[in-house]
Amino acid sequence: MPQDLRARVLEQEELGGGCFRMRLDAAPIAREARAGQFVMIGLPDPAETLVRRPFSVARLVPDTGEPEALEIVYKVYGRRTRQMTRFRPGTEVALLGPLGRGFWIPGEAEGTEVLLVAGGIGAAPFPLFLQRAGKDLAGRTTLFLGGGTRDDLLLVDWFRERCGEVVLVTEDGSAGERGLVTGPLAARLDAPPRGERVVLACGPRPMLRAVAELCLARDVPCQLSLEERMACGFGACLGCVVERRHPEGEFDRYVRVCTEGPVFDAREVLP
Amino acid sequence: MSPIRMQVKVGRGLVLRNPVLTASGTFGYGLEFEPFCDLAALGGIVVKGISPRPRAGNPPPRLVETPCGMLNAIGLQNVGVERFRTEKLPLLREHGATVVVNVYGHEVADYVAVVRALEEETGIAAFELNLSCPNVKEGGLEIGRSPRAIREVTAAVREVTSRPLWVKLTPAVTDIVETAEAAVSGGADALSLINTFPGMVVDVETRRPVLHRGTGGLSGPAIRPLAVALVHRVARAVDVPVIGIGGITSVRDVVEFLLVGATAVQVGTANFHDPALAARLVRELDAWCEARGVADVRELVGALEENR
Repeated sequence: MPQDLRARVLEQEELGGGCFRMRLDAAPIAREARAGQFVMIGLPDPAETLVRRPFSVARLVPDTGEPEALEIVYKVYGRRTRQMTRFRPGTEVALLGPLGRGFWIPGEAEGTEVLLVAGGIGAAPFPLFLQRAGKDLAGRTTLFLGGGTRDDLLLVDWFRERCGEVVLVTEDGSAGERGLVTGPLAARLDAPPRGERVVLACGPRPMLRAVAELCLARDVPCQLSLEERMACGFGACLGCVVERRHPEGEFDRYVRVCTEGPVFDAREVLP
Repeated sequence: MSPIRMQVKVGRGLVLRNPVLTASGTFGYGLEFEPFCDLAALGGIVVKGISPRPRAGNPPPRLVETPCGMLNAIGLQNVGVERFRTEKLPLLREHGATVVVNVYGHEVADYVAVVRALEEETGIAAFELNLSCPNVKEGGLEIGRSPRAIREVTAAVREVTSRPLWVKLTPAVTDIVETAEAAVSGGADALSLINTFPGMVVDVETRRPVLHRGTGGLSGPAIRPLAVALVHRVARAVDVPVIGIGGITSVRDVVEFLLVGATAVQVGTANFHDPALAARLVRELDAWCEARGVADVRELVGALEENR
């Protein structure tokens, strides 16, 4: 059940590439949050934030055990994210969450291999995935972390410590392979599988479209975490819709990212 | 139990338990707010506009925040009257909510069809005709800008319902008193003022409108002074109750609409910011009255001091 809390900012750090990490004192939401779920954040006074903004729950604090706080990572994109960079420790925010349907973590079937695909700020939901996955599944997980340049690759050291394998890709070649993240992903998908595989992807729409096509063509299960402009986060405003891949009729053309998503099976939607 | 009398009458003998309702399109089918808000505590819930058949709505992006406001072009996505009747209404009844059904159509026959399909149902307090949506091709503003069309739709629906009939008007007209009088002459029991203002936001880098549809409806505190002025004008010109809508975020905003002549109000865009707001405003209005020795909330209606 989502909760609408007043939460204090505990700390904020600039990560580079216009991205920030914000820690929030919100244990009740942190305890409930599953990987891929999100929170709505804004200042409590509607005169200061009329429309809250959605962010993936990125990470729980501490790393193991009972969660005491949660973190988001965000990229400065417009007016509200610029406003958020000015929040200081002690700033009180109106925090609603956890919201939406997260990733469904595959069963513990022996050998299931998880391929995470992140484009830039799309890395946001994956630290929580690894925390919730546990050591065994995290060890069988490969993260393909892509960005335009080295500064776009977030939390690289953190991921390296917890993930079986981390593959870095940049368009300018400043870190890891040069190119798009779909390059090494396609190579991996075309290699003989070690067992069952599942792809979880979050990033810009063109990347998600490409990942979905790669997976659908190879019949590999694929989950996409989508983002869309939304006003409420809990299914009422109908602002954040995405097109269904196979609508049953004219009236079922859209589904809500906030409620039916933000994580969808790639077979369900047209990202 | 508060000693303050909070009940208000909004046409055709309908008594609401208090004057704070939620505006159509900003409160879903009510059920989405159930985790945050006691639906039965509200004066009423005006549900998302219902059309004869389901509507998919417009392609995204459908909304964008603006200075002190929000622009939306949802396009009246809704489940249609049949699914509303069988899936949503029974749950609203269980919650004890006072339900006002907002009705949308392309033409007269559509409005009549929706009201007819619901007329025999229990648990509906009133119908509100949406003659003012800026985000759809047909109906909406085409009807809402024409006093003759407003009178025609209102009169046709009046024929098929014995329930209170409210008409929601657009501010995008030269003289809102003309459209208000047209609705009253067609048989409206109350008027809801106002729907959103047509607006546009452009992304100057891509040189494209932010909304896929191009234009949308502007809501939120940015439009409140405009709404207050229109309610003030219409409440003096017509004999039916007026329901004030536009950018309410606090109890002072509620009182402001009452003072200029609104009998009740609808909280809109701010429901998205704070899903518990409307229910809290009910309690705060009670406290506001008690602190100022107002024994009956109706004492505030039209109590504007016009002399300087």
